Amino acid sequence: MVQQNYILQSFNCINGPTAARLHDMGLCEGCPIKVIQRYPFHGPVIIENDHQRIGLRYQVFAQLTGE
Amino acid sequence: MTTVALIGNPNTGKTTLFNSLTDKYAYVGNWTGVTVEKKQGQVKDTDIMMIDLPGVYSLDPLTKDESVVADYLMHNEPQLILNVTNASQLRRNLLLTIEVLELGYPTILVLNMIDDLKRTGFEYNCTVLADRLGCKVVTTNARNRKGIAELRKQVIDYPDQNADGLTLDYPPMIQQAIRQASTRLVKGTGYSLRFARWLTIQFMNKNKVVRHFAKENQLAPLLQQQAYYDAQKFADRIFDTRLTFIEGLLKDARQQLATSNNRQLTSKIDRVVTNPLLGLPIFALIFFIMFKLSFDWVGTPLSNLLDQFISGPVSTTADHLLASLGAIPALRSLVVNGIIAGVGGVLAFVPQIFMLFACISLLEDSGYMARAALVTDRIMQAIGLNGKSFIPLIIGFGCNVTGVMAARTIEQPKERLVTTLIMPYMSCSARLPIYSLFVAAFFPRHQALIVLSLYFLGVVVALTMAKLYQVIFQVKESSIFVVELPQYHVPRLDIIWHGTWDKGKGFIKKAGTIIFAGTVLIWLLSSFGTTGFVSNSANSFAADLGRLLVPIFKPIGVIQWQAISALFTGVLAKEVITSSMMVMFHTSSKAVLITALGQFISPLAAYSLLVFILLYAPCFATLATIKQETGSGKWALYSAGSSLVVAYLIAGLIFQVGQLFL
Repeated sequence: MVQQNYILQSFNCINGPTAARLHDMGLCEGCPIKVIQRYPFHGPVIIENDHQRIGLRYQVFAQLTGE
Repeated sequence: MTTVALIGNPNTGKTTLFNSLTDKYAYVGNWTGVTVEKKQGQVKDTDIMMIDLPGVYSLDPLTKDESVVADYLMHNEPQLILNVTNASQLRRNLLLTIEVLELGYPTILVLNMIDDLKRTGFEYNCTVLADRLGCKVVTTNARNRKGIAELRKQVIDYPDQNADGLTLDYPPMIQQAIRQASTRLVKGTGYSLRFARWLTIQFMNKNKVVRHFAKENQLAPLLQQQAYYDAQKFADRIFDTRLTFIEGLLKDARQQLATSNNRQLTSKIDRVVTNPLLGLPIFALIFFIMFKLSFDWVGTPLSNLLDQFISGPVSTTADHLLASLGAIPALRSLVVNGIIAGVGGVLAFVPQIFMLFACISLLEDSGYMARAALVTDRIMQAIGLNGKSFIPLIIGFGCNVTGVMAARTIEQPKERLVTTLIMPYMSCSARLPIYSLFVAAFFPRHQALIVLSLYFLGVVVALTMAKLYQVIFQVKESSIFVVELPQYHVPRLDIIWHGTWDKGKGFIKKAGTIIFAGTVLIWLLSSFGTTGFVSNSANSFAADLGRLLVPIFKPIGVIQWQAISALFTGVLAKEVITSSMMVMFHTSSKAVLITALGQFISPLAAYSLLVFILLYAPCFATLATIKQETGSGKWALYSAGSSLVVAYLIAGLIFQVGQLFL
């Protein structure tokens, strides 16, 4: 079974605008998130946090969670 | 006049609220970025002006649309701010609320979509929120008009609102820096202390609009400290303070409810439509149905009826009427063959276009659009665009005009521009008549295959150009792909109708005026020659122009002036090419035209001509829309010029290479 729950580790590696947007959506280091859906071929990932669902690119997700 | 500004995150139901409160409606969508510029309306039965600003996640803008909000707050003084929030996502919504409250205008915090929150099993104590934030708090559910009357009352009673503004407990070091800078600002510029404080905090927070403003106005107290603020990571610390404040506040205000009915609907639908395997097929199916509805089941039959009506009764009646009034032949020809044929021919497309818009509005209002962007992102990433570009391009197969307009939903300006520029290569439905005419004449055995090859070629050219633009424009921003997936809503009929009408009325108006002018021009060219009014088009200016250009078109295999002149009329609207050919070849029957064409042109030249028609200059309506959406006539000119070059090169390549083998 693939892991479902993550804690956001680091915003340092992702680009400024994306980090700013995620911050504005209330996501920050230490925030718990739940993975709702993954797509094959490193496609986007849907995460859930605080009753909101957000679609991210896999690279951003991987950098955020250190996966 | 009292001005009330609506500010809030995307997907909080701001525009629905705006429409419920005001007489005039703005366009609503359950899809980030629907309000692309500020819209105004008057609160019913009052003289209060309400301004609907684009949805933003914070006052620090990432896109041009978003900068409208910060810009507005810096240069206008609304008497009241309505901060609309999604009650279920208050934690993130309050980040923006704090930024707004720090500015010190009277503010009403609207907890919208309160029903969604209650379904999750708790609610917030509004008194606690109001006390700690220092503003009024109202709960609403705009979709079923709950709480609207109370909100309206609060808006009308705006002078009672207190405006202390919110002062957060930032770390001492930041507090001191704010105090110093704002005191100096007040002294130097005469700003109010509130505004100076807000400006300082926003400046520390790296707000791009404020930093630009500070540079422009030489605000030394801020500029001198910039390096210090950034080195000390003030922005991060301000964010942390705000988040801590919000979390504490929400913890204290939270009240458990007895019943809970978790948000099953969205989860259930999402399990199917965003499924990794089913997602793309479902996306394809939804768009297939949308096309079927617009171009097959509903739209086309209605369009045909309208076309019959315009080309039949309307045209004949007008002709008879003019004849009985004794109008000169030239005038009759202008009205009947020019205006009614041209403008009417385009108006006949209105049912199809409205049907397509209704489907798009339905998808937007339900919340599916964000999912569609998500499931197509991986494919679009390969050419440097993102999922948000896919939908406009698909819509472009129906009509390029609507496709370009749909590109509004793309957040990054460069990606939006690239999507707009490659749009004309998507083979719109208006090009089908000329395809079907030519394949019937030259490729009777492989009709479908030839048409499909044209569509495919269009897509390949579009994607290649996108890749090229990616390199030229150095689109690096494309890596921002953060899509919020809003809750699904049961679509509301009036919202869909408003959306359809808002998108469609522009088409009627704009296409009408431009097509009208263009039609008259082309009628003039084909009806007048050096000898004056001519009944034989071979003596007209259009024929002279066509003959003049024969040497240029020779490399792509086209040597008949009729075909070349017809291409000009295609700029007016692509479907006019067919009817122009009929006029030029002196025939009113399709069958005769097919035989005539067969004698004039070789199959290879015919295919090369079809490729040219596929790719060359967008129609007037598309060019006008490109101008409107990019805000510059240069891009419209560029689009016309570049597609002409691309069409010439590719059609020429096909003809020249083909000649070697055939």
